[in-house]
Amino acid sequence: MAVSAEAQTPGWWRGRVVSWLVTTDHKRIGILYVGTSLVFFCLAGLMALLMRTQLMQANEHVLSPQQYNELVTIHGTAMVFLVLVPILAGFANFLVPLMIGARDVAFPRLNALSYWLYVLGGLVLMLSFFAKGGAAQAGWTSYPPLSEQTPGSGQDLWILSLHILTASSLAGAINFIVTIHNLRTPGMTWTRLPLFVWSIEVFAWMLLAVLPTLSAGLTMLLLDRGITFAGWHLQTHFFNPAEGGAPLLWQHAFWFFGHPEVYIMVLPAFGIISEVLPVFARKPIFGYKAVAFSTVAIGFISMLVWAHHMFTVGFPNSLNSFFMITSMAVAVPTGVKVFNWLATLWRGNLHFDTPMLFALGFLSVFVVGGLTGIYLAAFPVDWQVHDSYFVVAHFHYTLFGGVVFAIFAGLFYWWPKMFGRTLNEKLGKWQFWILFVSFNVTFFPQHLLGLEGMPRRIYTYSHESWEGYNMTSTIGSYVIGVAILVFFWNVVLTTRRGPRVGNDPWQADTLEWYTTSPPPPHNFDSVPYVTSARPLHDLRNRLREQQGARARA
Amino acid sequence: MASSVRAKVFLAVAVPALALLLAPAALAKGNGGFVPVTPQSPNAHGIRESYFFISAFTLGVFVLVETLLVVFVFRFRRRRRPRFEEGPPIHGATRLELLWTAFPVVILFSIAVFVFVELPGISHVPTAGAEGKPYPITVTGRQFYWQFRYPNGVIAIDTMRAPANTPVRLTVVAPDNDVIHSWWIPALGGKIDAIPGRINSTWFKAKPGRYTGQCAELCGLEHARMLGAVEVMPRAEFTAWLTRRRAQQTKGTSELGSEEWAGVCAKCHGFAGEGGIAVRIAGSAILTDRLQLGTIVHNGTSTPRGTMPAVGSGWTGLQVAALANYLKEHPPSGS
Repeated sequence: MAVSAEAQTPGWWRGRVVSWLVTTDHKRIGILYVGTSLVFFCLAGLMALLMRTQLMQANEHVLSPQQYNELVTIHGTAMVFLVLVPILAGFANFLVPLMIGARDVAFPRLNALSYWLYVLGGLVLMLSFFAKGGAAQAGWTSYPPLSEQTPGSGQDLWILSLHILTASSLAGAINFIVTIHNLRTPGMTWTRLPLFVWSIEVFAWMLLAVLPTLSAGLTMLLLDRGITFAGWHLQTHFFNPAEGGAPLLWQHAFWFFGHPEVYIMVLPAFGIISEVLPVFARKPIFGYKAVAFSTVAIGFISMLVWAHHMFTVGFPNSLNSFFMITSMAVAVPTGVKVFNWLATLWRGNLHFDTPMLFALGFLSVFVVGGLTGIYLAAFPVDWQVHDSYFVVAHFHYTLFGGVVFAIFAGLFYWWPKMFGRTLNEKLGKWQFWILFVSFNVTFFPQHLLGLEGMPRRIYTYSHESWEGYNMTSTIGSYVIGVAILVFFWNVVLTTRRGPRVGNDPWQADTLEWYTTSPPPPHNFDSVPYVTSARPLHDLRNRLREQQGARARA
Repeated sequence: MASSVRAKVFLAVAVPALALLLAPAALAKGNGGFVPVTPQSPNAHGIRESYFFISAFTLGVFVLVETLLVVFVFRFRRRRRPRFEEGPPIHGATRLELLWTAFPVVILFSIAVFVFVELPGISHVPTAGAEGKPYPITVTGRQFYWQFRYPNGVIAIDTMRAPANTPVRLTVVAPDNDVIHSWWIPALGGKIDAIPGRINSTWFKAKPGRYTGQCAELCGLEHARMLGAVEVMPRAEFTAWLTRRRAQQTKGTSELGSEEWAGVCAKCHGFAGEGGIAVRIAGSAILTDRLQLGTIVHNGTSTPRGTMPAVGSGWTGLQVAALANYLKEHPPSGS
């Protein structure tokens, strides 16, 4: 085992724990990203359960209004910035060099910096609960003037945390782009690139394009809140209408980043699905080029849709119409993907291992999130459902039902490669079914609450007619908690006793399965020349032909 | 586990899952939330029409995709085939792919066309009708109440009275020192944000009745209690109310005082002044002193115990007087 060989060599930096802290190995950094994200996932998930408890019944008093607003803000911010984006970056870290047959990422030290900045940003955000005046309370979108008027340091720490996380993501994005452009193994042309790597290529370019806008907005917000340093007080009025500023400027800056951010999370999830489905359908992906191109198209169009988050600010209808049409246009490449995935299943030999269950669950649930998006794109209908629980349901269908399901598909699929042992299939299937049912029980009724008139981000309500759906949703959310516990129980159970696997337990298509599980520090002793998008499949065929020839001889 | 067993397991889980999804719908009253609340104004009606039109397509696509998925999962399940047995190496079919690229385009195009046809009926205030010109009311969103101002200067808080069967044109604003709110009465149309520094507008035309809604943009601690209501009354009744309110307001005592207490003060300080997210104010000397009361609602205050926003910045002397007079007659009991 390569990892233990490394540990045996003397030197303080090679100790069991220390070696992880000083590592620049993309695989270890990938695993660190995934592990850290899962910790934040549990924390942000617990916040959601607290909120659901508060909303279980009308006029509940579990949380104070301030506590509720803090949880609303940090739950959203953490799930986006500390869970979904970094866990996908973790997959990308672990997989991209292996999938393209490289030794490591282009800048291993920069990669370590990205990870540690992420940890720092996460700590700042989580510890802001203990700041003077509590954590930020203006929602993950932190609209001014509200976010400028909140007293205390919570909001400032929120800004600081996001600044750090932005720096982390930018460094990561540059690293992925340089890696993918320069370190592909001979024969791996752009049309032979695994679809997950395609999604990371677009993910990285998008981060690079939109994060600076967020940083600019954050800096303006920070300056507007005012900085006192060495007796000097610096305060600007970018968003303060009393001094000629415009609150809407923030909304533009935020959503120019914020909407592409949704696809920054969703595209790598699509990438995972495009890897998992063909392997468990025992067929090549249907329409490789269409799937790859639609990834690029979604990435591009998603940068032209931001103002659909601002349909209620009173834009002229001409502007609203433009953003309605661009928003609807995103549905076209997304539809292409969905139909290509379905066609991949057609006439396959479908193996329902846990990764496949999660991938199929993703398909069935993500479609709902995609379709409800059309209501939000049609701006007059958005006027009715905007900022209501309909929207909450919509984005949880895309981000939980979509991205989190894809992440579990990826975890179960690549776990053997990461750790050399498989997760327990039986527990995995239990987890899937519990999660699939409880997810729908939690979030489906929220569509209905929104249409009934329940706005998002309210800490209480007095309509008794909303209680039934809220109670259903809360019960569902507790069961989601159980499903997540099943996952961690599975991890604990299999860490030492899980069955060991060979290089390629799933008979997969891509290069990461060519090396050992887990791979040695240098990844590959040699890499086969790549002649298609499915190098391992080609290799298996060649071996089978050779065996056949030998048998005939 | 044999694959036929697996299929049964799938059914056994999928069916109750679906039942679970639909059960709460059966329990809920009215339309169950599957469609927007019953519209009471032409614009809300246009929105609901668009909702139905979109639903026809989304439900169709939903059923198509889920059916294909379930059918493929059953039809092409592994049965006892080993993993190395592969499906046919189909790498794509350009015509088919073009077809399912074009198919959503057609759907989306028709949705967009439908929306554009409905749009004027939703967003344009009818200018002239049998009932004459649109009736103007200014809506101001404030932490954490709605203030309504009528053309004759009458002010009301949280409950708007409006004439029936008349287009009512709302100008929706927020003061410069306040935050963003969003005006939303679901039965009377979509929402429109009240943004400091911007002037927005919307409208409705409704039959007599009481329609409720609440602020839809997070505006601070008591966002959840920033409720709004519209009481639409027959024209004559409305005119009578408006005249009476105006007379009362000029005298400095009116229902306005009680509306201010309930809508502006009580949401944070408690209806009996017993304290809530803000301090207990029952028995406070400020409540009986019109000058001090005016100062604190005009400017707010910041003490170590907390910050009170300038909830009444811009209030006229009569508005302060209404509150002071109300508090003189109804001193908060504190419990």
